[in-house]
Amino acid sequence: MVPYKHYSLLAIACLMWMAGCSSPYVENNMIEEIAPVVFWSVDKGTEGKFKISTLVPPLIQEKKRLLTKEVDLLKQGGKEFNLIYNRELKQGQLRMVLINEELAKKGDIEKLVNTILVDPDISMRVYLLIVRGNFDEYINNQLTKQENQDYFLYRMLKHYEDHNQGEMSIVNIHQFMKKLYSPLEDPILPVFQSDKNNFNYVGTAFFRKDKEVMFIQNVEDEIFQLLGNDHFLKVLAIPKLSVSLGRVRSDVRMKLSRDYSSLSLHVGLNGRIEEYQGEKEIQSEEQLQHVIQEIEGYLEEQTSDLLKRMQRLKVDPLEVGTHSLKPFSKEITEKQWLKYWGNMKINVDYDIKIQPLNNVERLM
Amino acid sequence: MVEKYDPQMKSYQLPTWLDELKQKLNHMDDAEVVELRMGTHASVHLLYIKTLIDHERLNEAIIQPLHRCAGNSLSSCITNAKVSEVTSIEEAQQKIMQGFILLNDSVNDQWLGVQLETTLGRAVESSQTETVIYGAKDSFSEQIDKNITMLRRRLPITTLKSESFTVGSLSKTKVVLLYIDGLTNPKFISYARKKIESVNFDQFLDSSQLAAFMEDHHHTVFPQFLQTDRPDACAYALGEGKLTLLVSNSPFALLAPITFFHLFQSPEDYFLRWTVASFLRLIRYGSFIVSLALIPFYVALTTFHYQMVPLPILFVLLESRSKLPFTPFVEGLSMIVTLEIIKEASLRMPTKTSQTLGVIGGIVIGQAAVEAGFASKILIVLMGISAIAFFLVPNYQMTKSMVLMQVSLLILASFLGLPGIVIGLIGILAHLHGLTSLGQPYFAPVAPFYGKEWIDLFIRGPLIWMRTRPDYLKPLRKWRQEMKK
Repeated sequence: MVPYKHYSLLAIACLMWMAGCSSPYVENNMIEEIAPVVFWSVDKGTEGKFKISTLVPPLIQEKKRLLTKEVDLLKQGGKEFNLIYNRELKQGQLRMVLINEELAKKGDIEKLVNTILVDPDISMRVYLLIVRGNFDEYINNQLTKQENQDYFLYRMLKHYEDHNQGEMSIVNIHQFMKKLYSPLEDPILPVFQSDKNNFNYVGTAFFRKDKEVMFIQNVEDEIFQLLGNDHFLKVLAIPKLSVSLGRVRSDVRMKLSRDYSSLSLHVGLNGRIEEYQGEKEIQSEEQLQHVIQEIEGYLEEQTSDLLKRMQRLKVDPLEVGTHSLKPFSKEITEKQWLKYWGNMKINVDYDIKIQPLNNVERLM
Repeated sequence: MVEKYDPQMKSYQLPTWLDELKQKLNHMDDAEVVELRMGTHASVHLLYIKTLIDHERLNEAIIQPLHRCAGNSLSSCITNAKVSEVTSIEEAQQKIMQGFILLNDSVNDQWLGVQLETTLGRAVESSQTETVIYGAKDSFSEQIDKNITMLRRRLPITTLKSESFTVGSLSKTKVVLLYIDGLTNPKFISYARKKIESVNFDQFLDSSQLAAFMEDHHHTVFPQFLQTDRPDACAYALGEGKLTLLVSNSPFALLAPITFFHLFQSPEDYFLRWTVASFLRLIRYGSFIVSLALIPFYVALTTFHYQMVPLPILFVLLESRSKLPFTPFVEGLSMIVTLEIIKEASLRMPTKTSQTLGVIGGIVIGQAAVEAGFASKILIVLMGISAIAFFLVPNYQMTKSMVLMQVSLLILASFLGLPGIVIGLIGILAHLHGLTSLGQPYFAPVAPFYGKEWIDLFIRGPLIWMRTRPDYLKPLRKWRQEMKK
């Protein structure tokens, strides 16, 4: 008979047991004996294999080298790395998985991502990136030029994720998989261009299931940030109109018709003109209104084009499909939604409220 | 044949008593037997231990009055000292060893005891163990009567009762139990009385020894009596409904019943603004957790859970630990033991030597240990934080106990990682839950739950809101405020 005063201890011990904290086997991860890798780069190998690469030793001031292996299975790569390096490579601090664009376009990255997602050692906050070009070549070239390149790459992604500045579409593995398995949403991933000397963000890739089907960049990417990602842009540069808007915040309202034949998209934008190099005198209210109308017209046109491409390729990264969900009614299937989405008439309306950074003569 | 006191005849058999007492005082250089001849009395024998009595007062209170004495009895002549009758040879022995002067009244055929013990002791000084910036500066000393005076001055009420006991077959230590009649729960008083009366040991050199005999749980690391040398803390505790035990030759009073949370309270908490005091109290609890778990946490992370270390710190850790010959457990344990050695050494040394020790210790466990490759830089930083956090807990006994808990958690962390630390902390909580102080739950007011008392638990709420005495002390008078007439 357990004395009553020890019931609480018994209850907590049971809870711990149920929560899986009481495993009698703890993995030896003596910190000086392991090498926790920060990224995995996955590329297309020969004969249908994967080519995976990582940098060792990670985060330590010793001479670094890039390990590359061609394997059939992702975990096989992790194991084979251990055989060629003196410390055991661990994935517990894996922060980035870089997937080559060719592999992403071919599809079938779902299993790859799933392998990482289900590994209990790996955090759900691993960033997923699409790389256009040869990342291994870039890293190899940077080994001697810049210390801890892998870490600083991670810090860059973390910075843009934390502050939602709209510069980049930063996606972690959990967000990707959530959208992948949702019938009314499609996943996105950031795309980076890599060559021997540079590694830079170029745009956003849209996925149909686990296959990259569309890529947007420049103004289209900025519009996407406003419509569906961060709803904020630090700078929206429109070279065509010689104007730069700053601190742009968007308020997006979507309304689907009852029969899903049309979508009305209203975008309210708040911001300020930070730069203007055009011909008009924006000190005059009349001319300022004219500039605003031009911006609205330009953004409406660009947005309509972007949405039409999305409709054509049957991708819905803006999660328009979720607006079809209503309480107490049956959810429409993915197939039905894509049929509606492909044929939908879309009305785009921008309403821009601008704070000019100079004095404006008001109309009486 | 030994003649004994005959109550009916009221005969003390003077020669027999005197001889027997002389025999008892044999081989005691400081024992004196003096025979005085005076006035109407043929002769008076004075027996005393000269190292225990006040010689000036002997002359003033006994020798001079006896020379002038014309009365029939000795007790009527001695007017400026307390005179009591001694009725047995055992009592005579006891009194003589307590600084009494024994004298025989041959006219009335009786033995008398006059208390003239020397007032040897230090002056009232400020507390060294519980220093405060604000508040009273006086502290208890080794003289129990002075200590009682300090309390009576703070609580000038007739309901402050004091009961004396003697413990220790050799030390004959005087113990005074103080409580406020009509406020303190009588169950506590009778429980304490029973505990003191059951004490059976030869010597009591400090109140902590008495506490060890009175405790409900002897094998725990948690003190069940609060030791303090501050009279204001004792007065406050008495006013709350607690008991106070004063022990002769010990400057530390014992307070009971206490709870675990009393160990984190400082007398100054009640002198500061409530917001400031609450903040400091929260920091103390935080420090308690930090001091217990920081080093074990480091060992768990570096042995099992590298995933949880933020990348920038992992960078430093990998760099630092890759050059070390020891496992994180050995590294942590050796640093804890080294720190304890330095702490112990600096405590036992004279002040100037301890300062040198502190500096050398700081350099040894700091820079030298890192440079020699015995410890990592991160561990040294954590050791520093942990060591300072230890000192934030106001109770010194608790601080010493915490090292044992820290080492236990360290061992658990080295085998089981973070679940080990969690199991250890749960174990500590469960243990605390099972403890009692003077029969009262030690983990109150958390378990058993007394919601109202939380106002003076993790925070120190405004005094104007603390209108009632703590429920878990079951006081007879609940309200602190008096009813207005």
